[in-house]
Amino acid sequence: MTKRAMQEATFLVLTALAAGSQHGYGILSDVVRISDGRVRLRPGTLYSALDRLRLDGLVSVDREEVVEGRLRRYYRLTPEGGRQLAAEAARLRSNAATAFARLGLAEGTTG
Amino acid sequence: MNGAAELERAYRRWLRCYPKTFRREHEAEILDVLLAGARPGQRRPELTERLDLVASALRMHLRPRVPRSDRAVFRAVGLLYLGAVVQLATATTVVATLGDVKSNVVTRYPGLTEVEWQAVVAGQLVPKALAAGIAVGFWLWTAWALGHGRRWARIAFAIFFGLTTVDLLEGLARGSAVYARADLALGTGLWLIELAVVCLIVGGRRPKVAAR
Repeated sequence: MTKRAMQEATFLVLTALAAGSQHGYGILSDVVRISDGRVRLRPGTLYSALDRLRLDGLVSVDREEVVEGRLRRYYRLTPEGGRQLAAEAARLRSNAATAFARLGLAEGTTG
Repeated sequence: MNGAAELERAYRRWLRCYPKTFRREHEAEILDVLLAGARPGQRRPELTERLDLVASALRMHLRPRVPRSDRAVFRAVGLLYLGAVVQLATATTVVATLGDVKSNVVTRYPGLTEVEWQAVVAGQLVPKALAAGIAVGFWLWTAWALGHGRRWARIAFAIFFGLTTVDLLEGLARGSAVYARADLALGTGLWLIELAVVCLIVGGRRPKVAAR
């Protein structure tokens, strides 16, 4: 059976966690940076995605801190999350390479 | 009350839309993120924030608490939600096609009086529409229970499938199920969805529900 492509929000959240653990607000800010400001996740959407990713075993809680009386929970990528992110990145790279080749453009240029 | 406290209280009110278990674990951190992202001087959640919280809360209520890798349960829950929609359409169709049913009954029993027709409506069609309404609730409840790893949901649905199969066969034998073609089409569609759900939940593994 064909594996379904990962949703962009999921891809960006996993990418945000690829370099190390982050708390909710850190992930939101990083997603904006990674996508050059194109994707701005809302907190409800982020926690819904994190809940799904935890259930699927792609993300887990790294640690908790209390900052100024408020709980801050840090999330990290699991080994399975890393594998799935790498597979999705490879799939996107392969598709992009094909598109560039057919357009007769060097990879990374937009004409 | 100052603006920040007012905003926090408003966010807490909207976070009540989430399931209790989720709130117990995540309310403090979502609140922290919401407050960190608020504009200076903001006193109330913006419309987009409210919509995002409500939509996410709805997703949290509806979606199964099993990993996506447990495909049988995932698909069964999706089919159960579809079944609820079709069941609702069936209940609506029973009411909307009363005219068709009446003309078919009159063709079969030309001497039928208005009083007798009213008796047919009260005795058979009204209970049928009510049962369909209750069934919508049952589909939704089973979807929730199955998605939360309740084993008895499988047994309850298998019994429900048995009962509706007998009902459909009985209706076909009596000819009452073919009085309105739309009723028959929806009833058959619904039965096929039930069959698919039963195949998935009987053949599938036991769901591994997240401990929460």
